[in-house]
Amino acid sequence: MLKLSWNATTDHVKALAQCRFLDAPRPGLLPSRRRAVVSCYPASKAPSLAVVSDGLAWVEPGSGSLADRLRLGSLTEDGLSYKERFIVRCYEVGINKTATVETIANLLQEVGCNHAQSVGFSTDGFATTTTMRKMNLIWVTARMHIEIYKYPAWSDVVEIETWCQGEGRIGTRRDWILKDYANGQVIGRATSKWVMMNQETRRLQKVDDDVRDEYLIFCPRESRLAFPEENNGSLKKIAKLEDTAQYSRLGLIPRRADLDMNQHVNNVTYIGWVLESMPQEIIDSYELQTITLDYRRECQRNDVVDSLSSHEPDENLEAILQLNGTNGSAASPTTEDYRQFLHLLRLSGDGLEINRGRTQWRKKPMR
Amino acid sequence: MVATTAASAFFPVPSPDSVAKPTKSGNGPTNLGMLKSKSSSGALQGKANAQAPRKINGTSVGLATLPVVVKDEGSRPSTAPRTFINTLPDWSMLLAAITTVFLAAEKQWMMLDWKPKRPDVLVDPFGLGRIVQDGLVYTQNFSIRSYEIGADRTASIDTLMNHLQETALNHVKSVGLLDDGFGSTPEMYKKNLIWVVTKMEVLVNRYPAWGDVVQVDTWVRGSGKNGMRRDWLVRDCKTGETLTRASSLWVMMNKKTRKLSKMPEEVREEIEPYFLNSAPVVEEDNRRLPKLNDDTADFIRSGLAPRWSDLDVNQHVNNVKYIGWILESAPPEILESHEISALTLEYRRECSKDSVLQSLTAIPGNQDSDLKSCGEVECQHLLRLENGAEIVRGRTDWRPKYSSNCGVAGEVPAESA
Repeated sequence: MLKLSWNATTDHVKALAQCRFLDAPRPGLLPSRRRAVVSCYPASKAPSLAVVSDGLAWVEPGSGSLADRLRLGSLTEDGLSYKERFIVRCYEVGINKTATVETIANLLQEVGCNHAQSVGFSTDGFATTTTMRKMNLIWVTARMHIEIYKYPAWSDVVEIETWCQGEGRIGTRRDWILKDYANGQVIGRATSKWVMMNQETRRLQKVDDDVRDEYLIFCPRESRLAFPEENNGSLKKIAKLEDTAQYSRLGLIPRRADLDMNQHVNNVTYIGWVLESMPQEIIDSYELQTITLDYRRECQRNDVVDSLSSHEPDENLEAILQLNGTNGSAASPTTEDYRQFLHLLRLSGDGLEINRGRTQWRKKPMR
Repeated sequence: MVATTAASAFFPVPSPDSVAKPTKSGNGPTNLGMLKSKSSSGALQGKANAQAPRKINGTSVGLATLPVVVKDEGSRPSTAPRTFINTLPDWSMLLAAITTVFLAAEKQWMMLDWKPKRPDVLVDPFGLGRIVQDGLVYTQNFSIRSYEIGADRTASIDTLMNHLQETALNHVKSVGLLDDGFGSTPEMYKKNLIWVVTKMEVLVNRYPAWGDVVQVDTWVRGSGKNGMRRDWLVRDCKTGETLTRASSLWVMMNKKTRKLSKMPEEVREEIEPYFLNSAPVVEEDNRRLPKLNDDTADFIRSGLAPRWSDLDVNQHVNNVKYIGWILESAPPEILESHEISALTLEYRRECSKDSVLQSLTAIPGNQDSDLKSCGEVECQHLLRLENGAEIVRGRTDWRPKYSSNCGVAGEVPAESA
């Protein structure tokens, strides 16, 4: 009765999708792939020599699993970054008829995972290399900074490019650039800092250079920053919000869906919690432009969390306004167009800090 | 009752605005009869080409030219008639104008019979989906993303339900009916009627894993004198295996009075041509769902509150969130060792951002036995406001998981050796 016509679909997809296809292995094939990772030198070679189970091999377009063909992501020409396209689904769209910041954060995580997978790191969600696993090390997020200039709407297509680079002895940085696929316009940028932690001791740990180099071969050598400008918001320190917060939302509890495989609350949930204490007036008239979160402590299923927020004066904006002085034309920004807040998430019981954050909001555009 | 944007009615709005852009192919003025037929297909083709590059994000995109057959939302007939009278006759403009007018007329005449001329061409590398089966079935592919999977690395039930909702909305949108957010037909709109979902039944054979691609087909059919059912079939793209079957029941409600309404004859005439005459994909489960209370429930979880991201564009809580809340009171042992094989939900009331909810679960069959070692388990659920007002009643059937998974909470998934 229902004709199975999906064959036509996939043939069309094969013909039309403009990406190269990688043989991304399934979990379970990892061991041999990991060996291949260590033994091949991909950085300067032709990028289609993607990591496959037998070592170096050409991957023909059209081969590889259906998922790979339909997954619209691949390493870029030089193999040093990864690009993927996503369509925004209806349930990822919020009250503004545009994607929520949680959706954006989820997509950033997704493309990060797919990048790690495509270069041969583990697919258990930890993106660890062989040596890291031997040493019981995992990555944890230290800071996340997302700027969104234009939120995509339902069924818009977003192209996200991501890459990572080392930062210091124990850190690595992952950057993203988000573009509107239709016109190539940059609609957002993000950067995150990760550190290595020992899974058993839950302490940060420094590593030798060869451990770092194991993953750094997949990263651009010269510094490439999503936020190259000086004094950009991603580097600004965030103060700890003291008790006299203007707004608060107490008693937040993790839901089943907030927990990752390790029963820890996943990163994106914290973003939602930070926003929970924002008052309705702000949510109604402003949209989130920037969010910066410093992750301090993990949170688990039975924890209860308080979310605190306070308005934070933005020195930069006020300086600009002072310079503009009495020349305030309709075009120049006023304090009403932008707002900035400081946030704190802490455990309800003992007040231990979970993370701290800063958000910047801009007046919603007329739609 | 929940009136959401996921209303599933889908009827072409007889709007003179939805016409093709004029073709640029100036074939010279031939007789209108021939012109019409030639240009209908040609124009449709032309329309497609004029529309391709495909509109994505509201602007044109340079993909390989896809002949696309979609309603051109909001494009207006050109004002050519006035223009070409004022200027010297430009035959291609004349042609374009005539074609436009004819297509508009044709569309009006053929409104109820309109089917996509080339049903197989709505192809989308981005998972947008297409109409097949003479315009009655909408199909779309989804690849399972990493944040959609649960602790056992398979898609969560929320993900499955999200996909169902997405295809329902896309179906409605693709036939040009999503403007007011409720998917109402013109007659419904006149009478202030909207669709509300009252019941949802889902049967899961197997949960897809991260990276799997599933194909979701959806269609509607009549149900009794006043209702409508939307059915879904989810299959694994690679193997064709049926993963999930689902069915939902919809009735009409007056938007103003919030009272249920019979289906008016005018509406029936509008929608009947779109019903697929198919056997039910899920056998109707007519077992009564009891209303739990503090005494009959085995587990209660309180203080559940909607977050900003739970709200849809109308600031109502998205339906799919309910299943997450329902499972909040399910005992952790069962969540670890079992998976949902069947789910039935009866929607009673909607809730908003300010609501605070309680989730109640009862396990009627098992009094003392260890849940983990049970075969199949049945649970009853209730989601209600703290003042007792019912939001959703539910039943879930569980079976033991067979695939390898984390097992014990807190344990790091072991790397495959």
